[in-house]
Amino acid sequence: MSRALTRRTFLIASAAAAAATPWPRRGAAQPKATITYWNGLTGADGKVMDELIDRFTRETGIRVEQQRLPWAELYPKLQVSVPAGEGPDLALIHTVEVPHFANDGVLEAIDEAAAGGKGFRGEEYLPATWQGGTFQGKRYSLPLDVPQHVLYLNVKVMKEAGVTGPDGQPKAPASRDELVTMAKKMTRGDTFGFAIGTLNPGRYTWGFHNLLWQNGANIYTPDLKRAGVADPAAVEVAEFWSGLAGGLGIAPPANANCRDAFIAGRLGMWIAGSWNFTGLREAKVDFTAAPVPRLFRQPVVWSMPHQYAFPKPKSADRARREAAWTHIRWMTDHVAEWTLKAGQVSASRKAHSDPRVTGDPVLKTLLGQAPNWQVGQPTPKWVAAENITRPMIDSIYTGQKPAKVAMEELARQINALPD
Amino acid sequence: MPRRRRRQTRTAYLFLLPGLLLFAIFRLYPLLEGLRLSFTNARLGRATYQYIGLANYMRLADDTRFTVSLWNTAFYTVASTLPILAVPLLLALALNRGALRNVLRGVFFFPFTLSVVTVGLAWLWLLDPVVGPFNYYLRALGMPARSWLADPATAMWAIIATTVWWVTGYYLVVYLAGLQDIPRELYEAAALDGAGGGRTFWTITLPLLRPVLLFVVVTHVIGSFQIFGQVFVLTGGGPGDVTRTVVQHLYETAFQNFFQFGVASAMAWVLFAIILVFSVLQFRLLRGHTEY
Repeated sequence: MSRALTRRTFLIASAAAAAATPWPRRGAAQPKATITYWNGLTGADGKVMDELIDRFTRETGIRVEQQRLPWAELYPKLQVSVPAGEGPDLALIHTVEVPHFANDGVLEAIDEAAAGGKGFRGEEYLPATWQGGTFQGKRYSLPLDVPQHVLYLNVKVMKEAGVTGPDGQPKAPASRDELVTMAKKMTRGDTFGFAIGTLNPGRYTWGFHNLLWQNGANIYTPDLKRAGVADPAAVEVAEFWSGLAGGLGIAPPANANCRDAFIAGRLGMWIAGSWNFTGLREAKVDFTAAPVPRLFRQPVVWSMPHQYAFPKPKSADRARREAAWTHIRWMTDHVAEWTLKAGQVSASRKAHSDPRVTGDPVLKTLLGQAPNWQVGQPTPKWVAAENITRPMIDSIYTGQKPAKVAMEELARQINALPD
Repeated sequence: MPRRRRRQTRTAYLFLLPGLLLFAIFRLYPLLEGLRLSFTNARLGRATYQYIGLANYMRLADDTRFTVSLWNTAFYTVASTLPILAVPLLLALALNRGALRNVLRGVFFFPFTLSVVTVGLAWLWLLDPVVGPFNYYLRALGMPARSWLADPATAMWAIIATTVWWVTGYYLVVYLAGLQDIPRELYEAAALDGAGGGRTFWTITLPLLRPVLLFVVVTHVIGSFQIFGQVFVLTGGGPGDVTRTVVQHLYETAFQNFFQFGVASAMAWVLFAIILVFSVLQFRLLRGHTEY
């Protein structure tokens, strides 16, 4: 039997429904603000960032809308979007991007005193990372973590080749000569003793930079006025580079996938980014990690800290900016978890004494390299110079050009870059 | 013009207006804006710039990497045209009849449904010098393995082979449509006159496929001059600059190498002029003998 709905029954039913609806728990976070956050964490570290951001939102009520692009696409997008007023509230960028973005007015300068007031002080960070956030005396970013190189040793390949220490375990080479000798023992057929770089080792500028820095050379001279790549120390590195897959024959061809080769047991010693080690563990590769060996004059380790930066907004929005600050603060306070799960050592010293971090042999190795970290030079031309370095070192690696000729040509190209 | 005719014309233009507007906003305006920028020293992100006349075009003449990329693009275009014309045509002739033709058409068309990045990554793995299956089977057959994409002698050919594999299905469908349009009576008459397969192909099939061939050649040449994706994923222009193409050079100049939009626009216009000249030449050469 049906009955028409009267106003009274409707009101009673509504009141009952409202009473039955559970009230929000006391203290539960309600959405406060939404910030946009662009980053290039497209690997496994992206999932870790997602998890942490979910927790951040639950705890603070601040929603974070992420846009994730490969780094090479993220940077042009920032360059286009920010002047148009369409940039994000927060961006994660590499240290070497800071000078040119700052120079082009894409990033907003951060007041050191204001940052200090929020608990971001230089003494809490490793010096190279903190310094990397500045350009021409002004701060533009705050460091999060330190992607860096490390030497991976493939236990199976090294044991099979008998390249082990007295304890029967793989040993790291102590010099360039020793590295070459060990690598030659491991190289046979489609197995190689040594590689530097993940994909396309011939074009791996970060590896080339690492070797340049170890030999006291650099892309630019110290005064940043001219290219330094034709200097004798740089040419010596280029000669070594040309021999890797050439005369020495210890490294895979220029376009090999070194990561896959290492996982497949076809690569013995591999200098590559710290971001690879969690993936190697997931792939159950039997490996150990050692500090990047000193192959030239000094044991420098290439690093490129990720930095939080505020792209210039079209108009100031205090609430969103404060929410972005809150996010950076929260991530910095929880950076030990980021380090453990994403495999990136934190820039802040806070997590370095965390027993979970110090108890991990790879993270301990990465932390131990801190005194030897070096970053790219603080010039707006760095990234452009790196882009033209890539094909040149490839032509050296593949034997198309003699090292000296190629480096002189590269120097000319770098010097011709516009201001 | 009679009033009724004028009204019809106005109605036609009204219907065309949305399309023309979109064309003007998204095609014509960027094209002309690019031309304007090519005479400036504009850089993305910089608010101000100056007009510098033909300086960007003069600079291209001195840019050895631009010259190299032009030659590489020309080589790719010439070397890939014959296989792009021949392979789908042979397959189309084979698949024009037969019980499994629909299934096989689908199989051959499948690669074309993939994005260029997917194709590139798949072939990057297939041709990997250490862990790639291609070299694995070569070694198993007792043949020497090669680093196909890192060897200056083979890198461009590997890109061409990848492209042929990728686009064959598309051109196959185009050819099949052309073959279906050829009247069957011509073949019947030729058979009655005692013409064999070869004779029939050269005197009936090929001449009547000329409009399709024109379409394939023109679209392929235009596409070849604009090749970017395969190169970007497979070799990044390497080894060295052996596979560097014009569009890659343009892209890097505009988006990776200091955001030099002025210079990059000049490159785009040089490329546009080259494509225009080649397209006109092809139409002139092939259209005169074509029966539509």
